[in-house]
Amino acid sequence: MAEPSRTKGVIKFAVWGILSVIMVWYTWHSYSSGQMVTWYYWEASEDGYAVEANGLRAGTKEKPVALEVGTFPAIAGLQAVKVKKGDRLPQGCNGIITEKVIKEGKRAALEGNTLKVMVPTQVREAKGFKYKDTFKHKGVKTNPWSGVQNLFMVIGMGFCLGYMAEGFTDMLGLKLHKIKHYEGAH
Amino acid sequence: MFDFAIAGIHAPLFLLMLTGFTVGIVGGFIGVGGGYMVTPALIVFGFPGYMASGIDMTHIAGKAVISTVRHRQLGNIDWTLGLAMVGGTMMGVELGVRLLNLTKGMGLSGVFLLAASVLIMVGLFLYTQIETHKAQKKINELEAQGKQVGRELSVSRIPHFFQGIKLYPIVRCRQARLVISMWVIVIVGIGTGVLAGFFGVGGGFIRVPALVYVVGATTHIAVGTDLLEIVVSGGYGALRQSMMGNVDMIAVLFMIVGAMFGAQFGSIATSYVRGPAIRYILSYSLILATVGAFLRLIYTLSGGQYEVLNFLAVVFTLGEMIFLCFFIVSLVIFAVRHRAGKWVPPWIPSLVVSAD
Repeated sequence: MAEPSRTKGVIKFAVWGILSVIMVWYTWHSYSSGQMVTWYYWEASEDGYAVEANGLRAGTKEKPVALEVGTFPAIAGLQAVKVKKGDRLPQGCNGIITEKVIKEGKRAALEGNTLKVMVPTQVREAKGFKYKDTFKHKGVKTNPWSGVQNLFMVIGMGFCLGYMAEGFTDMLGLKLHKIKHYEGAH
Repeated sequence: MFDFAIAGIHAPLFLLMLTGFTVGIVGGFIGVGGGYMVTPALIVFGFPGYMASGIDMTHIAGKAVISTVRHRQLGNIDWTLGLAMVGGTMMGVELGVRLLNLTKGMGLSGVFLLAASVLIMVGLFLYTQIETHKAQKKINELEAQGKQVGRELSVSRIPHFFQGIKLYPIVRCRQARLVISMWVIVIVGIGTGVLAGFFGVGGGFIRVPALVYVVGATTHIAVGTDLLEIVVSGGYGALRQSMMGNVDMIAVLFMIVGAMFGAQFGSIATSYVRGPAIRYILSYSLILATVGAFLRLIYTLSGGQYEVLNFLAVVFTLGEMIFLCFFIVSLVIFAVRHRAGKWVPPWIPSLVVSAD
């Protein structure tokens, strides 16, 4: 195998470095502009009430958190919007308290125009490890295109960073030869 | 601390990058995704369980691409072998998951699954340890006779049996220097996929030993080729997890940046060692993961009575990452010292290469 040229290494590092920066910027921009979050909380997968789940954490059986039920275009604070399966979610929503949960009445209950949340957190297990599970992300369907977008970003970043690193070692003149797997006794 | 809008938590970016870095070293060196280490770490950082699995799977796809690029440069990838196996693996994983759902429907307990996976891992650990120990002994003998020993030395006779199966189509894997029935590769892929899907243990853990001990590839090529497979299977997993809404891409981004440095080190480190060194580290990672699973098994059997066991399982799983990194870094340091003619422990020369 020919020795890697340092000049080629510099070019490789620069080109893939620029592409890496573009990929990282694209990911960061999609996230910070809210596009990724909007695609994430896309539509309702179950009938229920769209809520902003982070604001429910203080709720207890003795002192439930009370949410005002209405038809708000965007959820701000302690508000809830009734949604049906397949409806686009209002802005600011990050979880659904399903009709099933309300019917059970253990974690949340509907009283007139007020939705009371008594148990916002449950301890659950994943792969043998315990974690606190909330209403966040429950009953929510993600835009299927976000899967394609994430895959593009992760594979793209992998290639860009991988080739940038390869260019970096070439640029430094590190001699990384192909391994001779079959020389000597084996 | 960073506010993860999708995951809904605050977590330190530094720890995510460090996790990516350490798992990158281990994954790049032994050719595994490292999901069994990352998911618990993310849960400890505060990510919900479903999101920890999704972030883990997505970052594995990116990290595998980075490692694959470097292993390609080192000549550790057999494309024919990898691409022939990947179809079987995907089919196997799907079969394994369906089998799991079927058996769960029949009332098979999680305890049985955990116990069976512990048994499989211990069996693999013992076989790898015994075989690698014999190989190391043989290297010492050959070197004592003044013979030049190559990168690889395996004393397992199992590959000869599988290579002798003349079932058409027969494929030639140039880089791995194998002429083997396509059916053997596909069936090994299905078998390892079923085990991975059914028991939920990492695919790489089973595939790397299978590539070495069943197909007959060298350990370096098994590592590189397995990482190629992880690109495809991890990419598919990333797509599925993202569509289910289990991925916070910013967490993935920072883990991949950390993994870039780790994967470079892990991949390049393979060029300093012989096959048995990689197999030793693979077997240690197997047994350490098994101890974690065993502690969780006892915890489950005791009806969750002894919380300390669950805590120890987490500590063991996270400690394993650090221990394996330390081991790999030590091997590289000793390899460099050995090349420079400096003192190294007596067990080192048979595990490292003097020069390429």
